[in-house]
Amino acid sequence: MRPVAALNDHEVFDRYPDELIDHDNIDHYRAMAERRLVIRHCQDCGYWIYPHRPICPECLSENLRFEEVSGRGTIFMETRLHQLRDPDASIVEPIVAAAVELEERTGLRYLSRIVNCRIEDIVLDMPVSLTWIEEDGCIWPAFEPAAG
Amino acid sequence: MARNPLKDQVAVVGVGSTAYGRDQQRSLLSLGVEAALKAMADAGIDRRGIDGICGSGMSPLAVGNAGFLSVQGALGIEKVTWGKNGWLGSAFVFAVEAVFSGLCDTCLVVQSYRREVNMSRSAARDPFRLRASRFGETGGMGGRDFARRWLHSGEPYAAWMKRYMHDYGVGKDAFGLMAVNNRSHGARNPDAVIQRAITLDDYHASRMVWEPMQMLDMDIPVDGAEAFVITTAERARDLRQKPVTVHAMSLGGTRVGEFYENTLPWTENAFWVAMEGLWARSDLTRTDVDLFYPYDGYTIDAVAVVEAAGFCKPGEAGDYFRDCWDRRENILRLNGGRTLVTTGGGGLAHGRSGGSNLYAEAVRQLRGSQGERQARHADSALITIGSMYHDPSAVLLRAGERR
Repeated sequence: MRPVAALNDHEVFDRYPDELIDHDNIDHYRAMAERRLVIRHCQDCGYWIYPHRPICPECLSENLRFEEVSGRGTIFMETRLHQLRDPDASIVEPIVAAAVELEERTGLRYLSRIVNCRIEDIVLDMPVSLTWIEEDGCIWPAFEPAAG
Repeated sequence: MARNPLKDQVAVVGVGSTAYGRDQQRSLLSLGVEAALKAMADAGIDRRGIDGICGSGMSPLAVGNAGFLSVQGALGIEKVTWGKNGWLGSAFVFAVEAVFSGLCDTCLVVQSYRREVNMSRSAARDPFRLRASRFGETGGMGGRDFARRWLHSGEPYAAWMKRYMHDYGVGKDAFGLMAVNNRSHGARNPDAVIQRAITLDDYHASRMVWEPMQMLDMDIPVDGAEAFVITTAERARDLRQKPVTVHAMSLGGTRVGEFYENTLPWTENAFWVAMEGLWARSDLTRTDVDLFYPYDGYTIDAVAVVEAAGFCKPGEAGDYFRDCWDRRENILRLNGGRTLVTTGGGGLAHGRSGGSNLYAEAVRQLRGSQGERQARHADSALITIGSMYHDPSAVLLRAGERR
């Protein structure tokens, strides 16, 4: 795994100007800017920790490290957004908001968009894999149907 | 002399502190959990012994800080029956109240503070403190990171509808019939903003919003308010209204935290915890309930409450509602026909007031003061308001004084 400290803290804040970045999640955004999805992994009990927490909620250890996940998972739940909160926002076609269960652990889910496929082909529990999209100058993770 | 029933009834048994410093380079949550772990160690109580949390801050939505949801998630505390945020001196008082009242037995109070950007020039140059001050109490809602989109969002409720239908192999009958029931009651309530009853076909034809959730699954936004006066049963004797007595209450907190995609399984969500907490404190059981008010912010909330309360098995609400359906009035009748559901129409017909209108309707029914709409059986009411993800209430009210 490549070293995480590619961008300094100020650069990470600059790359993601509209997000709440704190001491518990900054390495997640630092890696995201380099198209790597990293999540804290407990070095004592092996639990993958998400949402970002300062200690391991399973064994209460502080011995944690951000590690890259495989990017493979399945769709645990999803909804298709036909309308947004902003009444003036228009959607050309529904946005798919999906909780992707990552293969690293049962219940480890990352909320993301499903891209590069027809909406009618999306079903619960289907295998997906990580891809990356660029939007308004920011790099974001997304998921697409797994190959094969 | 003021009344003081809590005199000598509640004690402090553990204390924990972090180091203090001008720049600790840690999150509020990190400081808070360190203090919490030290306090628990000091008391000789582990996390399984904690059943209430008073977190830091003024807003219950202060996610990402040391609010009660984040603290519970970070400490991996499986279930609590009480949770709240407080600051300054109030947090301690809230916790004592909760323990005295029996809503929890052992409450963790976590108060985490930070040198804020408006308190120091060097703090104002720190990007971490700047970012924290900008998002204040909301914990980062409203940014562009899609992964934070379900912080207190309605969309995951829609996603759960689909997962529920998939896992139990059912259609939308349970959701649709709940909507029809509430609209039928709303049609008889002169105060409801929508007084038109609907059919199941109307429900299915309504506009798709967050697929599979439709317009008629959602409560009606309105301007409105409710208020209540609560006092002792003793004082109530001298007042003009027939009293309605709080028989038992519980909240329900789970370790899911603030990111709702990390939802627990259907039968472990916060409604189940609240309902278990209620039945553990109640002399009444489900079959004693005369009136039932499951929160209807979205129909899936109401279906979850029905199943969590034990009226039917998980996934069977649709079949159960068909068995309980009054075809003449187009309403639900539970417990062999005696128990009406959401008289008044609730959020789906009367209007959205965060469930407070359900409490108000329950109180008036238990007083017997609802005239033409008065339910025949109205000695007890079960009201459950809130979210499957965090701190729903479960409240049993009874008509009259109980001695």
